[in-house]
Amino acid sequence: MTTESIISIKDVTKRFPVGGGEFTALHKINLEFETGEFSGLIGPSGSGKTTLLNIMGSLDTPTEGQAIVMGKDISKLTHKQSALLRNMHLGFVFQVYNLLPVYTVFENVEFSLLLQNWSAAERKKMVMESLEWVGLQDIADKKPAKLSGGEGQRVAIARAMVKRPEIVLADEPTANLDAANAHTIIQTMKRLSHELKTTFIFSTHDEKVMGYLDRIISLEDGKVKKEQQVEAKFSLS
Amino acid sequence: MKLAFILAYKNLIGAGLRTWLNVGILSFAFVLIIFYNGILDGWNDQARRDTIDWEIGQGQISFNQYDPFDPFTVMDGHGVLPEKDRKGLVPVLLRQGTIYPEGRMLSVMIKGIDAGQTALKLPTHLLTESDADIPVIIGKRMAKSARLKKGDEVLIRWRDDKGTYDASSVTVEGVFDCNVSAVDQGQVWMSIDKLWEMTGLKDHTTYSIITDGKINKVADGWNYSSREDLLSDLTRMIAMKQKSSSIMYGLLLTIALLAIFDTQVLSIFRRQKEIGTYIALGMTRMRVVWLFTVEGTMYSFLATVVGCVYGIPFFIYMSKAGMGMPEANQEMGIVVAERIFPVYSAGLILSTVALVIISATVVSFLPSRKIAKMNPVDALKGKMQ
Repeated sequence: MTTESIISIKDVTKRFPVGGGEFTALHKINLEFETGEFSGLIGPSGSGKTTLLNIMGSLDTPTEGQAIVMGKDISKLTHKQSALLRNMHLGFVFQVYNLLPVYTVFENVEFSLLLQNWSAAERKKMVMESLEWVGLQDIADKKPAKLSGGEGQRVAIARAMVKRPEIVLADEPTANLDAANAHTIIQTMKRLSHELKTTFIFSTHDEKVMGYLDRIISLEDGKVKKEQQVEAKFSLS
Repeated sequence: MKLAFILAYKNLIGAGLRTWLNVGILSFAFVLIIFYNGILDGWNDQARRDTIDWEIGQGQISFNQYDPFDPFTVMDGHGVLPEKDRKGLVPVLLRQGTIYPEGRMLSVMIKGIDAGQTALKLPTHLLTESDADIPVIIGKRMAKSARLKKGDEVLIRWRDDKGTYDASSVTVEGVFDCNVSAVDQGQVWMSIDKLWEMTGLKDHTTYSIITDGKINKVADGWNYSSREDLLSDLTRMIAMKQKSSSIMYGLLLTIALLAIFDTQVLSIFRRQKEIGTYIALGMTRMRVVWLFTVEGTMYSFLATVVGCVYGIPFFIYMSKAGMGMPEANQEMGIVVAERIFPVYSAGLILSTVALVIISATVVSFLPSRKIAKMNPVDALKGKMQ
């Protein structure tokens, strides 16, 4: 693992208007993430995990402080620059997969590449390679409705990885999966992180996920309660 | 642009029945607009052609005291056109009269015309070929209302140049079939030489029909009316009909567009997570707005394709078979053929396609603008109201 900081969170506070007042989701958070890290944000519901993930994914901006992703202060990015950052450097894996229902597995994975204007031949090669990583090359023509939960999430991983992003942000990626699928998914991500030097940041409650993490950041009431480097319980099978 | 079309196409096809319902109603509106306008254009085309061929020729020169809309001017509304000005003209003299078929009394307009003329389609050659003392020709409507047929004799009464009544029998030498009721209903056509002889109005004409359309100067006391002047009432009437019918198909198009608008609003509400995903994957919000707009616009493209599938055979059939018109229409003084053959011009089709596409684009863009204001986090959670 290198020591280069790929994400830098400096005094980040995020407040949301609620009713007539405000709710503080994050309070003066300071964190650094390095290239190739496999780390997770844990904590109870409402602790600010998803909010922090959204800010790191430039889907949201901090109310105060700075979130610097790939050297860019996301508060200062225009909509277009922010979209470009997500398209070129960030991958997302969502709890409910968020696959586009009318597209096939192949087309779902291909989507990010279409935005990057790759040629059809290059797209096909990259998509099939990505599906191979997650072991789904044989179901490329299926629609998401025909997939099991585990398969759906693996497609989502392939979609996030197909463009070789530097960072993948995964929001509760195993929450809807059984234990066996959860292990498969997290192992797949761990392997890709290792092979492609991709930084993975999770938000999770899942003990199984935590067992694979190199670093665990505990959040509570919008604050970092504990931050620890850990020895992974599970190794790559 | 290409990407938006590909994605929009996939989304539409993937949406299944909802898409085809919208496409169906829009294509129906599209086909109906073209069909109805084709009928009106066909009617216009036919009515103009028939009116030129049977009634007005290339224009008319009329005596200035004659007003075709005032029957009181017929009696004295005639004069002698200087001989030097008569070249290329077919003289017509109008006199009011009465016929007595089967003992009934019917007012008629006696029209004397140069029997050798070829400017109008009236079969005036029958008048020259006849051995009868006073041969006449009448139209089929006149024949029907007076219960006359070819070969019948009927008593006719008229007034001569001094206002004295005179009467004689005339022989129906032919019954012609034309769509212009103005040369048929209540009209009795005879040779102008015979009418001059009967009335003592030698060389008098009420109006003359222009055969070649080139008139340099009109003699004093006479008015020149071009072909377009004489067709202006017909043109105005059809234009008015087009406007009134546009309300009907405007309503139909509005219903189709409302369906698209409604689908777009519902889509944006239902597909928030999808919108959020597009943004998370790196699409700009404006690109998503564009995608949804193209999606809505594509209904009109699909409607055009679907409309062509059943519309083109239908239009081809209609333009060959025509559409039968009720007889009542033909007796209202409007030039309406028994069958109208619709005319589907490229201009009509292209302008209708453009109208449908532009309208669909506008109604698709309006709700899609909301996406530009969406917070992607809320969209991903499906929290937008």
